[in-house]
Amino acid sequence: MEEKNLVIKLVGRIDSNNAADVERDIISQVTEPKETVLVLDADALEYISSAGLRVILHLKKICKDLKITNVKSEVYEILDMTGFTEMMSVEKAYRLVDVTGCEEIGRGANGTIYRIDQDNVVKVYNNADALDDIQHEREVAKLALILGIPTAISYDVVKIGESYGSVFELLDAKPFSKIIAEEPERLDWCVSEYVEMLKKIHSTLVPANKLPDMRETVISWAKFMQDYLPEEAGKKLLSMVEAIPQDNHMIHGDYHTKNLMLQNDEVLLIDMDTLAVGNPIFEFASIYNAFIGFSELDNNIIKEFQGFDFETGKTFWHRVLEVYLGTHSETKIREVANKARIIGYTRLIRRSIRRNGLESEEGRKEIEHWTKELLELLNCIDTLTFTPYELEIVAVKENLPEVQAFVQEHLERDDCPLKAQMQIDLAVEEIFINIASYAYTPQRGKASVRVMVSDDPVTVTLTFVDHGIPYDPLEKDDPDVTLSAEERQIGGLGIFMTKQVMDDIAYEYKDGENILTLKKNL
Amino acid sequence: MLNINKTVEDGAAVFTLEGRLDTVTSPDLEAEIKEVLPDLKEITIDLENLDYISSAGLRVLLSTQKVMNRQGSMTISHVNDTIMEIFEVTGFSEILTIE
Repeated sequence: MEEKNLVIKLVGRIDSNNAADVERDIISQVTEPKETVLVLDADALEYISSAGLRVILHLKKICKDLKITNVKSEVYEILDMTGFTEMMSVEKAYRLVDVTGCEEIGRGANGTIYRIDQDNVVKVYNNADALDDIQHEREVAKLALILGIPTAISYDVVKIGESYGSVFELLDAKPFSKIIAEEPERLDWCVSEYVEMLKKIHSTLVPANKLPDMRETVISWAKFMQDYLPEEAGKKLLSMVEAIPQDNHMIHGDYHTKNLMLQNDEVLLIDMDTLAVGNPIFEFASIYNAFIGFSELDNNIIKEFQGFDFETGKTFWHRVLEVYLGTHSETKIREVANKARIIGYTRLIRRSIRRNGLESEEGRKEIEHWTKELLELLNCIDTLTFTPYELEIVAVKENLPEVQAFVQEHLERDDCPLKAQMQIDLAVEEIFINIASYAYTPQRGKASVRVMVSDDPVTVTLTFVDHGIPYDPLEKDDPDVTLSAEERQIGGLGIFMTKQVMDDIAYEYKDGENILTLKKNL
Repeated sequence: MLNINKTVEDGAAVFTLEGRLDTVTSPDLEAEIKEVLPDLKEITIDLENLDYISSAGLRVLLSTQKVMNRQGSMTISHVNDTIMEIFEVTGFSEILTIE
């Protein structure tokens, strides 16, 4: 038998004068008590005495379950004091709030945020049955706050028409989207604050099982996509997502400029319901969609959403990657952007298909566009993870300045002395040019350069990897530096100079890779 | 980036270098020198504002030195400490005439 809800309104006072009548009246309406969930609507209930409470206890015993809803605060106090709120589901009556004409200050996956007065905002949930969502968001916001992420926590739940909302105190706060739209000269400042908060989130370790694992979510997206992509591409997508290691660091999940607020001088994060754990590439996927992905076909979408135009969104995205990765290297920025786009398009396509996108002309156009981009990316990208300190680049002479700049940017951040910087610069040139000149000739290939700075003692470690012909540059004899100009060969000096300026060099050939590791103590 | 300033008078050339002498910029210096080299008796290369030199730069200096050994003289002037160290470890301080 199915269970069914029976809603009964309680009116006025229930005390020893009428308790027996009320009980008899309700029981007469319950025909199949074992299958009935009794919902007592207490909207019009003014007072309940212990005699009334006994009625409720008795009803709870004979029915399958019992809930009390719309409880006024005076009655709620009685139920709370007597422990009833712990014995059964008791829902408070919600204050009614009207948001007509209120300023929209934020919008997230689950709802929209309006300012209702000078000090308060309300988040109105899209889902009509949002009490679980509200509870969830409250819990994750609390968790984030405890872990050191500045955010607002709701203090009240209200009703807005048929929807629920949660109320936050938010004094005079301005979303970053509005700052960017109204004060374009502050774009760089916004980028820097935005990235600082992002790094704070990504460096926050979350205790196990407290937040959903984004990796699992994205694996389910990739599985969904198997029916909509050519077999090989689908398989590659899934295996790349599965290869992303599990990670217990926090990600926000919907980190766009409407969800970052400036309150007085404090930067505050809102809209925490998408909080999860996972690799930062998942975060960049959703950031890409917010600023570019959603608006790729119709550039006006971002304007409606963020209040600034598509070009500004593109600039913002690019600057964020630059600052987050600590580099101006276009190769590096493109690498991370392309990896983010793979996950971003996967999400957009799935989302559109699930919203019946394939059944409308407009939807098909979008899905077709995103799929085309996704397939191109799947063709040329093999992993979805990235490290800020590693650059993979085509090994040609022309790329030397970009490689040197990439290494220098990392060293400058670590206050590397000027002379050592110059010496490391020299080693980078000699090794990279060696790879560019010999590893793949006459073809072309890629090399990767990794820069690590470790403390105590401060050591810079450079690692060069290429897939070219096996070649150990250390095997060659050092040139005789005592010969006269006439006797000396032109060339052969590069590796020798590198050995002179670095403290340690080691070569290894492993799994088809030439790996050269250079160390310098500072 | 390398700025090359060149003056040639009566078979004597002065090259003043500013910036970096590396794989990317050495071909420029080599071309500039080659253009005037056949008629030169004397060449001075001023490195006061040179911040960086790699093996590619040393190669240009060595090949120029080889030619000048046959037809005249070559002087390197205003070498700063960082560049001097490179000259020393590579034995170039013995090959070049450094002022």
